[in-house]
Amino acid sequence: MIVVMQPGASGAEIEAVIRRAEQMGCKPHPIYGESRTVIALVGDLTRVSREVFDEMHGVANTMRIQEQHKLTNRTTRPDNTVVKIAGSAVRIGGDEVIVMAGPCSVEGRSQLIETAIAVKEAGAKVLRGGAFKPRTSPYDFQGMGEEGLQYLAEAREITGLPVITEVMTVEQVPMVAEYADILQIGARNMQNYGLLNAVGKVNRPVLLKRGMSGLLKELLLCAEYIASNGNYNIILCERGIRTYETATRNTFDLNAVPVLKQSSHLPVAADPSHGTGYREYVPAMCKASVAAGADALLLEVHPDPDKAVSDGRQTISVETFAKLMKDLRRIAEAVDRYIDEDDDDEAFLDLSELAELEVA
Amino acid sequence: MIIVMKQGAAQPDVESVVKRVEELGYKVHLSRGEARTIVGIIGADEHKINQENFEVMDGVEKTMRVMQPFKLASRDFTHSDTVINVRGLPVGGKQVVVMAGPCSVESRAMIIETAHMVKEGGATVLRGGAFKPRSSPYSFQGMGEEGLKYLAEAREETGLSIITEVMSVDEVELVGEYTDIFQVGARNNQNYSLLKALGKTNKPVFLKRGISGTINELLMGAEYILSGGNMQVMVCERGIRTYETATRNTFDVNAIPLLKDLTHLPVCADPAHGTGMVKLVPAISKAAVAAGADVLMVEVHPDPKRAWSDGAQSLDPQQFARLMTELKPIATAVGRGI
Repeated sequence: MIVVMQPGASGAEIEAVIRRAEQMGCKPHPIYGESRTVIALVGDLTRVSREVFDEMHGVANTMRIQEQHKLTNRTTRPDNTVVKIAGSAVRIGGDEVIVMAGPCSVEGRSQLIETAIAVKEAGAKVLRGGAFKPRTSPYDFQGMGEEGLQYLAEAREITGLPVITEVMTVEQVPMVAEYADILQIGARNMQNYGLLNAVGKVNRPVLLKRGMSGLLKELLLCAEYIASNGNYNIILCERGIRTYETATRNTFDLNAVPVLKQSSHLPVAADPSHGTGYREYVPAMCKASVAAGADALLLEVHPDPDKAVSDGRQTISVETFAKLMKDLRRIAEAVDRYIDEDDDDEAFLDLSELAELEVA
Repeated sequence: MIIVMKQGAAQPDVESVVKRVEELGYKVHLSRGEARTIVGIIGADEHKINQENFEVMDGVEKTMRVMQPFKLASRDFTHSDTVINVRGLPVGGKQVVVMAGPCSVESRAMIIETAHMVKEGGATVLRGGAFKPRSSPYSFQGMGEEGLKYLAEAREETGLSIITEVMSVDEVELVGEYTDIFQVGARNNQNYSLLKALGKTNKPVFLKRGISGTINELLMGAEYILSGGNMQVMVCERGIRTYETATRNTFDVNAIPLLKDLTHLPVCADPAHGTGMVKLVPAISKAAVAAGADVLMVEVHPDPKRAWSDGAQSLDPQQFARLMTELKPIATAVGRGI
């Protein structure tokens, strides 16, 4: 159930509603929107009566939410949630389409820094790179761990790009949160509820990927796990689903983008690299994602994709990425959005200076 | 196998290669590109041919095995995009073609009214089902020949070309008398008798991917038509069956660049069936054009709430007009027109 406050309701009136809800045994979540404040009541609603709230000062009306996802529901918050990345100007869910790019795995210091500089130059706003890797085989490269996180932090220092990296287990959360600007929950962990509860308690935005055979309804309920712990800075991500078709690695379900945008206020990202699995189709799928209304793209880019230690087949080169960004700007404009050019004057190292860096 | 002729190879050289292939008992498909000619060899056991015997012939540059099971549909056989001429309208060229109209022809007045509306919105082909493959035998099965007559009448009035579904071999002749493009529905992607029958006609065929059809099966379906001699085939992604039930089907947008890569045939998208919900059709239509679709097929009804079939996925004429306006900048952004 949600209690919708009148525009301009006072802090005391909002407080009174919250206290009353707590007395009735449920958990109130105030959601401060641009136009109005809403208090979402979740948990045990058996003792909650709508009439009590209807009569309180400052209350406009009360509404039942039929769907199981409450805090993440579009009805609860008609405005789009814009996730702000602390310490940067990056905002996900606004008019700007944010491109997050980088290698599948952090493979070494110079590889990562080189890629970070190149993707920034092409217009990426966030650097991706895995330090803890959920690989299908236990014998495959499992990631560089904390060393990888340190390189990510260093790449951020140099380029100014915030970083997104995956966290796989509850005990890794504090360590990864120390380095990362956005915590990524991979497809295999969409329904790892312990992990969702843990990232719900940290003050870091979370990018939540749809499970390999996850329903959209399940994705929204997993986001609800995070939100119900107090962390509303969630980005949902479509990354392709398992179907009978084997011509591509996954079936990229772009229907998910408008469905999620309509049923939730959270920003929606698309991961065309995993969605197709083949680098030759990644540019077309990036364009399609932006055309369908995605707020962000998560892309695998590597200076030499054929030599990437993981996911090389779906990784595009920095040259392809730079050209793709130009094409994407035109698509973004066609849907009344934009993708920024890298026009800031911040001093950061160019490629010629990288050689010196490596020597150092 | 294909035999790639040298750039500017002399005609007698091409002819002697063709003759040699035919002597061995195989069929030949000649593709004359701007730069060079490709001789395609089709036959049950063409893998037994000794490539070297051809490589030494005059005018031959190289020979290549075609790995895919589809040959005539393959990009290897015909490198440049096939452009199909539908009553003067090029399908598969620079312009994205929009085919719009109701799911079913419901009456004379209704189809003519809709035809005018979609034409005004910018569609160049009118769709409308006269023979309807409905999941239940008790649902409306279409108006049959009467519906075809109304479609022809709508074409007369508006100048739009028409596309309508043909469901069985015995309907091919009748539907062919009226329609400009045969549509083969998802349920008939693997109706090989029907595909063979259409291969013997000289009208374009719009082939939809099966409900649980793989890309390979779709292209093999196209191969059935092509191998009958009808080279005017378009292939269409219309959503596949997956575990997800939030939408009617899962629109497999990967299919578009994948098909463009594998085949020279025009690639179409049907976001109405791909989503099953009006509120998703605009976003997925834009995605399809951005991904490189040559043709967009949309369901438009003057009053979707009263449609006899597929009302939930049919746009009303205002929604269609708005969508067309929104699609133009997307087409421009990918270097095309609409």
